[in-house]
Amino acid sequence: MKRSSRIFDLIIGVGLIGVAGFAMLYFLVNERFEWIPEQVLELARDPEILKSPPAKKCSECHKAIYEAWKDSRHSISWTSENFIEASENRTKEKCLPCHIPKSVRGEKPSPRLDLRDEGIYFVSCHFIDNKMQGPYDLLSPPHPTFRNPDYVRSNFCGSCHQKTFKEWKATNVEDTCQDCHMPRKKGRLTQKAGFNLLHKKRWVGDHRFLHGEIKEKDVIMESGWEENFFIISLKNQTIPHSVPTADNGDPRLYLYIKFFNEAGEEVDNAKEIIAPQQETALPYNKKIQYRYRLFDKIFKAEVELKYQPAWSKEKTTVRAETVRR
Amino acid sequence: MNFLRFILIAAAFIFIGILPVHAKDMVVKEPPKSLSKYYPPESKQPKWIQQMHKMSTHFGGVFVNLKEKDFENVDMHADKLVEEYKKTSEMVPEWEEYFDIKAAEAFAAAAKTHDIAKAGKASGGLGKTCGKCHAEQEVAVWAKFHWPSFHKIKVTDPISEKEIEFDDYMGSISSSFKGVTVNFGEGQYDRAAKALKVFKSRYMELKSTCSKCHATQDVKRFYVGKDADTAFAGLSQELNSEKPNPGKFWKNIGLLGKTGCKHCHLVHRTNSFIQEMWEK
Ligand code: HEC
Ligand code: HEC
Ligand code: HEC
Ligand code: HEC
Ligand code: HEC
Ligand code: HEC
Repeated sequence: MKRSSRIFDLIIGVGLIGVAGFAMLYFLVNERFEWIPEQVLELARDPEILKSPPAKKCSECHKAIYEAWKDSRHSISWTSENFIEASENRTKEKCLPCHIPKSVRGEKPSPRLDLRDEGIYFVSCHFIDNKMQGPYDLLSPPHPTFRNPDYVRSNFCGSCHQKTFKEWKATNVEDTCQDCHMPRKKGRLTQKAGFNLLHKKRWVGDHRFLHGEIKEKDVIMESGWEENFFIISLKNQTIPHSVPTADNGDPRLYLYIKFFNEAGEEVDNAKEIIAPQQETALPYNKKIQYRYRLFDKIFKAEVELKYQPAWSKEKTTVRAETVRR
Repeated sequence: MNFLRFILIAAAFIFIGILPVHAKDMVVKEPPKSLSKYYPPESKQPKWIQQMHKMSTHFGGVFVNLKEKDFENVDMHADKLVEEYKKTSEMVPEWEEYFDIKAAEAFAAAAKTHDIAKAGKASGGLGKTCGKCHAEQEVAVWAKFHWPSFHKIKVTDPISEKEIEFDDYMGSISSSFKGVTVNFGEGQYDRAAKALKVFKSRYMELKSTCSKCHATQDVKRFYVGKDADTAFAGLSQELNSEKPNPGKFWKNIGLLGKTGCKHCHLVHRTNSFIQEMWEK
């Protein structure tokens, strides 16, 4: 046999053993991790992870989730200008629990003393009772984990989004908070080069906690004329909680109506503030009607619905219509 | 120093020392700056209150254990009480005078005789030092550290959509209220009806302010809840009818003014007055 072909065989051999080894390890890590003795796992453990570190520590492995969270409102729940102002420089003691929770467990949390700038972060949501909890039963060599089905249930979010949770519950809709605000994609939980390939792909929730956009199809608008009245109705057709919804923020929909006479001059106007704080938000699947008495002869009305989120003073138009008589 | 002056000064001291507890004039002075160290935002926790709880626990602990004849713990609580009392006396230099370390030590000594009657008697001297400071300072501390300020709240006027200061908003709500009553009084019902719309939207905007201090929705049952809704519905009905009934109109105005404006003022304005004095 030639020397070069022997080397070739060796490479193939080592390669095959490598692939088989990887396959076995992959199988072990993903399917039979209970076979791995505790002593072996101890070698892979990083004790720092279990000392309530800053979010950055988790990003060493969970980079994608970290980046998504950074984009979310949860990561700025303590540093948001709006919150600082509303809480009088964070001195109102009632305002702390949900904005800097110690740990989330299905009821109003208690406020924490350390790492407050992290807002609502990895440790408050996943490191509960000294266990790294999540939706999966899996093996994570660097830290022990514990499966808790609450991670895919609405009551987890309801710890803080208490009013929204109650509204959702009353609708009897099955889709959970997570279904819409944390849509899942197949992907890896970790991005640490090399190691991540050892773990199979899973459904991973979007940690940007998408706010959701109110579109034309979400709010049905009907309008009409009666003798000396203009009537308009709005219905939240698709969103299984009130629109807008909030606990302590003040998001709003503004409904503006302008009335014009035959000459096209604006002769009157009206406005509705549709806001959870004023208990005027649009409940799920229920038509809300507004009636306006007309004092002049009116030929058309211009109607515009605008949305303003809790954290901003900017309004965006959801829909606009002209209604002729 | 001549003798007369000495007598006068001594008398003044005695009076100042005793008077505040008995005086009918209550002085609500802004708490000393050094106290701020023990409250948010300077401190993450309300350390002053925590210190109070410690003293109170040890004070009570002495008597609970005397009754249970658990003398080891009586002694422990007595010692701890003196320790915490001393510690507290050093926290706010301006308040040092309120403390009487000798009284605390005397109480601890009496407690350690394990004779309930003796401990009870000696507790009076110490208890008085707590009571005097509470009578003179607690209201001020509440106004400063527990009552959020209305002066730092802005309200979005629903008509102009401009953010204005809370007290300016009160001015504008008050004048739109008058817009309704004055026009009605003059028999100008259409104008009163238009003014009512403006007034109602300004009034309902107040509901958006509650969540700036309160974290429960329940409070909205008061001042801005069903009573207000009923009153507004009643007013609107009268103003849109052919011949408004003054009796019904004024009854609903009274309801709004009382269960709305006045009751909210009675609960919330007292502290606002105090804070305003200090802000000047
Ligand atoms: C029960 C939990 C809870 C408590 C207590 C709480 N909040 Fe919030 N807060 C939330 C939730 C959930 C949101 C996001 C939904 C919304 O807009 O209300 C939020 C949002 C906000 C927002 C809008 C977002 C932003 O950063 O601009 C502000 C402002 C705010 N809260 C202020 C306060 C103030 C002031 C208090 C104390 C009076 C307070 N919160 C107490 C749960 C809470
Ligand atoms: C050294 C790498 C590493 C670090 C650092 C790390 N993790 Fe993990 N974590 C993993 C691995 C690996 C898995 C398993 C991934 C898989 O099987 O798909 C995992 C899984 C998880 C899970 C899923 C648990 C379940 O049962 O669903 C949670 C939650 C979690 N980690 C939280 C954290 C938090 C919080 C931190 C920071 C305090 C952190 N991790 C830091 C490597 C790490
Ligand atoms: C510890 C309390 C807490 C928990 C638990 C929590 N949130 Fe939040 N959430 C907040 C706070 C506070 C804010 C507002 C942060 C800010 O903007 O200042 C917020 C904001 C949001 C927003 C943005 C709202 C807006 O007006 O833009 C969404 C969406 C959201 N959360 C979804 C969720 C979902 C889904 C869950 C459950 C998986 C959840 N939250 C769990 C406290 C919490
Ligand atoms: C130098 C002044 C001062 C002295 C002396 C003092 N206190 Fe206080 N105490 C206060 C003030 C101020 C408060 C109100 C604190 C607050 O509400 O933030 C208070 C509140 C308290 C409270 C109620 C705490 C709460 O949660 O509302 C207790 C109990 C208490 N004190 C016990 C004691 C006892 C027992 C002593 C004597 C051994 C004592 N205090 C001596 C100033 C004092
Ligand atoms: C600037 C802060 C602030 C605002 C704004 C405010 N409150 Fe209060 N309110 C307080 C404080 C502080 C108390 C004392 C008890 C406490 O801390 O809850 C209180 C007490 C109350 C109480 C007595 C019962 C209780 O919860 O203690 C009611 C009822 C109440 N407020 C209703 C309202 C309503 C309704 C609104 C909105 C229209 C409102 N408040 C707006 C600060 C505020
Ligand atoms: C949230 C409870 C609340 C309600 C409801 C309320 N007020 Fe007030 N009002 C206050 C507070 C608090 C102040 C003190 C504001 C300050 O100190 O800056 C005040 C102050 C005022 C002032 C004095 C303004 C100034 O320049 O100092 C007037 C006038 C007034 N209110 C009228 C009314 C009228 C009229 C109504 C009912 C139509 C009403 N308020 C309803 C809480 C309320």
